[in-house]
Amino acid sequence: MSEALVATQAPEASASGASGARRFWRRLRTQRAATVAAGIVALLVLVALAAPLLTTLEGQDPTTYHPSLIDSARGGVPTGSLGGISGRHWLGVEPQTGRDLFARLVYGARVSLGVAFSATVLQVVIGLVVGVAAALGGGWIDQVLSRITDIFVALPLMIMSLALLAIVPQSFPRPVLVTLVIGLISWGNIAKIVRAQTLTLKGLDYVAAARLSGWGAWRIARRELLPGLAAPVITYASILIPVNISVEAALSFLGIGVKPPTPSWGQMLTAADVWYQAAPQYLLLPAGALFVTVLALTVLGDGVRTALDPRAASRLGVGTGRTRAAVTTSTATSTATSTSTATATAAAKEESE
Amino acid sequence: MRHPSVNSARAAYVSLALVVAAGAAACGPKDNDANGSSGDSTPHKGGTLTVLNSDPQTDFDPARLYTSGGGNVPSLVFRTLTTRNRADGAAGTKVVPDLATDTGRASKNATVWTYTLKTGLKYEDGTPITSADIKYGIERSFAPELSGGAPYLRDWLVGAADYQGPYKDKKGLSAIETPDDRTIVFHLNKPEGEFPFLATQTQFTPVPQAKDTGTKYEEHPVSSGPYKVVKNENDGEHLVLERNKYWSASVDDQRKAYPDKIDVQSGLDSSVINQRLSASQGTDAAAVTTDTNLGPAELAKVTGDKELAARVGTGHFGYTNYIAFNPKVKPFDNPKVRQAISYAVDRSSVINAAGGSALAEAATTFLPDQKSFGYTPYDLFPAGATGNAAKAKELLKEAGYPNGLTVTLTHDNAQNFKTSPEIATAIQDALKKAGITVKLQGLEDNNYSDTVHSVKTEPGFFLAAWGADWPSGGPFLAPIFDGRQIVKDGANFNASQLNDASVNSEIDAINKLTDLDAAAKRWGALDRKIGAQALTVPLFHPVYKRLVGKDIKNVVISDWTGVLDISQVAVK
Amino acid sequence: MNGFGGFLMRRTIGTLATLLAISVIVYVVFYVTPGNVAQITCGPRCSPEQVHQVAQQLHLDDPLYVRYWHFLQGLVAGQDYSTGTSVEHCSAPCLGLSYQTDQQVLSIILTRLPVSLSLVFGAMVLWLVLGVGTGVLSVWRRGRLTERVLTGLTLAGWATPVFVIGLVLMIVVCGELQLLPFPQYVKFTDDPEQWAWNLLLPWLSLALIESASFARMTRASMLETLAEDHIRTFRAYGVGERSIVGRHALRGALAPVIALNANNFGSAVGGAVLTETLFGLPGLGQELVHAVSVVDLPVVVGMVLVIGFFVVLANAVADVLYAVADRRVVLT
Repeated sequence: MSEALVATQAPEASASGASGARRFWRRLRTQRAATVAAGIVALLVLVALAAPLLTTLEGQDPTTYHPSLIDSARGGVPTGSLGGISGRHWLGVEPQTGRDLFARLVYGARVSLGVAFSATVLQVVIGLVVGVAAALGGGWIDQVLSRITDIFVALPLMIMSLALLAIVPQSFPRPVLVTLVIGLISWGNIAKIVRAQTLTLKGLDYVAAARLSGWGAWRIARRELLPGLAAPVITYASILIPVNISVEAALSFLGIGVKPPTPSWGQMLTAADVWYQAAPQYLLLPAGALFVTVLALTVLGDGVRTALDPRAASRLGVGTGRTRAAVTTSTATSTATSTSTATATAAAKEESE
Repeated sequence: MRHPSVNSARAAYVSLALVVAAGAAACGPKDNDANGSSGDSTPHKGGTLTVLNSDPQTDFDPARLYTSGGGNVPSLVFRTLTTRNRADGAAGTKVVPDLATDTGRASKNATVWTYTLKTGLKYEDGTPITSADIKYGIERSFAPELSGGAPYLRDWLVGAADYQGPYKDKKGLSAIETPDDRTIVFHLNKPEGEFPFLATQTQFTPVPQAKDTGTKYEEHPVSSGPYKVVKNENDGEHLVLERNKYWSASVDDQRKAYPDKIDVQSGLDSSVINQRLSASQGTDAAAVTTDTNLGPAELAKVTGDKELAARVGTGHFGYTNYIAFNPKVKPFDNPKVRQAISYAVDRSSVINAAGGSALAEAATTFLPDQKSFGYTPYDLFPAGATGNAAKAKELLKEAGYPNGLTVTLTHDNAQNFKTSPEIATAIQDALKKAGITVKLQGLEDNNYSDTVHSVKTEPGFFLAAWGADWPSGGPFLAPIFDGRQIVKDGANFNASQLNDASVNSEIDAINKLTDLDAAAKRWGALDRKIGAQALTVPLFHPVYKRLVGKDIKNVVISDWTGVLDISQVAVK
Repeated sequence: MNGFGGFLMRRTIGTLATLLAISVIVYVVFYVTPGNVAQITCGPRCSPEQVHQVAQQLHLDDPLYVRYWHFLQGLVAGQDYSTGTSVEHCSAPCLGLSYQTDQQVLSIILTRLPVSLSLVFGAMVLWLVLGVGTGVLSVWRRGRLTERVLTGLTLAGWATPVFVIGLVLMIVVCGELQLLPFPQYVKFTDDPEQWAWNLLLPWLSLALIESASFARMTRASMLETLAEDHIRTFRAYGVGERSIVGRHALRGALAPVIALNANNFGSAVGGAVLTETLFGLPGLGQELVHAVSVVDLPVVVGMVLVIGFFVVLANAVADVLYAVADRRVVLT
């Protein structure tokens, strides 16, 4: 996946303060699909948080074995119909152990969503700091930070995870470790996006004006750049979350993910894929949960972007390729940017919705 | 059972995966029902046999291979002084002559072993095989460049402990004499009645010194068997073997060698192997696997399908999965705690985790449940199928833990279904009922091996497994319970660090016996005696269930290896 | 623009510095990874003396900086090594020898590279066709059911781990329907037709996962272009919707798709670990995971460098293609 995924838009130059936030929510609410998606995401988070409550309600827990519900002679396939679905086990039981699948699914949401969300936050924070620092610092600071970014883009995540997860003492909590490893290794792409976008913004009139009127770098970054960076970063983050869930799954596949008996969607998928023929629901449950999450996050991400910047397409004379170029190559110079600022603004005026 | 073939042969350390390592061992049947499904079951010569494996034959140098009985694919190319009897079931645990005329003649209290080569033995290039080549083959296995084999030669041969192989030490090993081209004599530093078993390993294959290319030899080892290597791609991932025209059945009564060509494809995902064998399309109809079991999910499907069920071969390899205690670590110094855990263990849920009752059998003895090991049934701390929590609680109370206790169970993170997380969580769940809270400490594969095999870092309570180097009690009990085999500064397998004079002397006494049946009985008795100390909790013996393609005939599965013998399989 | 030559030069130096830094990182990380390398190499039941001999043989007792220095020397000047019976030469750039198999790391990489490249090239064609095709269709039919279904499908691919997609595809297509043989790598030079048939499923699995990002990228870029003035002008002049979407809007999506593609291609060369493992393709990723599991440091370092090289190269190519597609971009 690439930073280029985020065909970024121009910044909402004046979006600041409370009125900006209110406007954002109003715009988000007007998009029906995004509202539904936001509801689903909220529900998923709620389910994850309320996992102990939900399983108590069901009367099960994610770790207790129920050997009487599986057929040991046939590899431990659940004996009941539809994978052992019953009033006591709402979604059936796990092959080989008889552990309750509903309980494992909701507890799994905690780990998977927790790891994915926090790893994403970590990636975004590092990416923002490095990207903005490189762009604003310029010169040798930019050179050094950009080369470091390159290194982290080129290091294979899987391989480094394999090594790092083996080095850290086992007493260290595994979900936190997985989060840290993902977050600390794969922030390169987002840093590149941020750097490029910052370079673009730096060249824009209002930021230049702010600089001329003697604002400090920190104030510029906070008041003028962050709002402009929000759209591409949030969009990218909405893509990163499902990627991180998949990474956790892949780490489980390689035997270095979250430790048992803690369930995670990734671990369930890994264990379940061979059961696709004998106990299909075992695979379909985590796969379905993951799909719903990804779908909701994607739709929500699109919605958020639109809400942050509804006239994106028009404002900056999009399609000039300039912003996109900056994002992708991270090498577009501010010269290229400033030359077309005039055209961009002109286009923005002319075409409003 | 799915494990991405991340763990290579040589990395799979602990489990003493000679089995895996050589792609060698695996099962002997109690009820071998795979007999070729087509009407005409008489095997004929010709055709190509495909072998679909998960672990690549990374080592194809006879010096580096760690096999039980010479391996499966390696045994097609490397003939050894003796070999395993290629027969179904228990008959297959016998050792028989291969290059030699007999299984060896012992003298001086079984410290000197003499072998005579058959006449008319030739390599793939037509040159004759001599006893000096066998001596050279053994010598080069001592070279640090070619390490990897079993420890016995170094431990047993006189003056071999510091020998560094023929590349560094041109004088050679004086413990091996070759008075003439057909005779070879071994001088051991102690009596070893089971030497004929050792002579089945690939280190006993002849290597012509003139053709030795050191670490490159494995690319094209010189064949003494029915097939020679014509292709070795990607370091053993794809091997093609064709007939060695200088081999003849008249000097080899063990290998049938029906197919004209053998195509070994490895590095495959285990579930893919089973899918291919069950679909049996094209060349897969004439395919087998030597290292991939049916997993539980596949078993659920196969048992419902008559045609498929008829193509499953069942085998038993001498292998025990167990819990190891280190009595030097509290509270496992207290026998009552060890006994309590022995009582509390729920073997049925452990077996489910290992794939269900079709793939694992409950174990209450350390020795595998086969006659050749001297199996003597005992169940000293009867836990029943699902554990005796009440008895365990009672013992804990006596031990001074009336309110239960908390312990840490160390396991391997690799999904090997032997020492893996699934087994550990099943034990965790069972001990909960007896008031024992188990914390799991999962270690990455290499870290696990380093940790549990070092007396300095060995945890008190961990999952372990042990496999047979040959079907006898000796290589099963001695490395685990012989006090003189405790290794202080290297890989130690005597996890309980037991150093009991009576056990040590009994091991020595049995090693003197050349009557293997008499020896087996005493190994069995010794196993029971050690078992009373509750130093391990035997969990289960694996059962191997493997599919064969629909054109496969003459499936022979010995209890020595537990897998079908490639040298017997026919595709026509 | 101070010339393509200048760009090339700066990029080459930058690449070398990046790769050097990567090699240091990998050396250090794997140096502290647990696992007694000598014991693993020697075998599980080697005696302490044998383990010591092997450690000496492989120079494992040397300090880290000495080993790294030898590695650099090998890269620049090559190195001699013994097979036991003779002395061989590993010519520069020598990435060293595998601890496990004593083979030259470079030759291991060179035999596996074609497999990885075969996998990724084919998958690339498919993900471009599927991804861009879906993107175009969803723009053309935007707001209708087709768009929703297509979006859902590509996201399903995006959301499902490759080992699930791959295995289910294999079971259904090869096992149940028997439409294709189970994949097994055939060299392109041996039989191009068999090569393609056998790689079809791995290509498809990888492409299904990647195509979602292309679909989204294509769609987003095209929608942007459609909002532009000149498109309105075309519409006003009565140019048909099909032509507008198919020709003009698609052109706007070209540059970002090229960039995304280069990036994905680069990371997939070594990153398709799971696909290679599942389908048993003897590529770089599969060998790399194996090497990591046995702490075979020379192989790990060599492979990570080669993979890193492809990622960096792909990014540079992306920049160039980008500049070609959009004259306003300046190469630095």
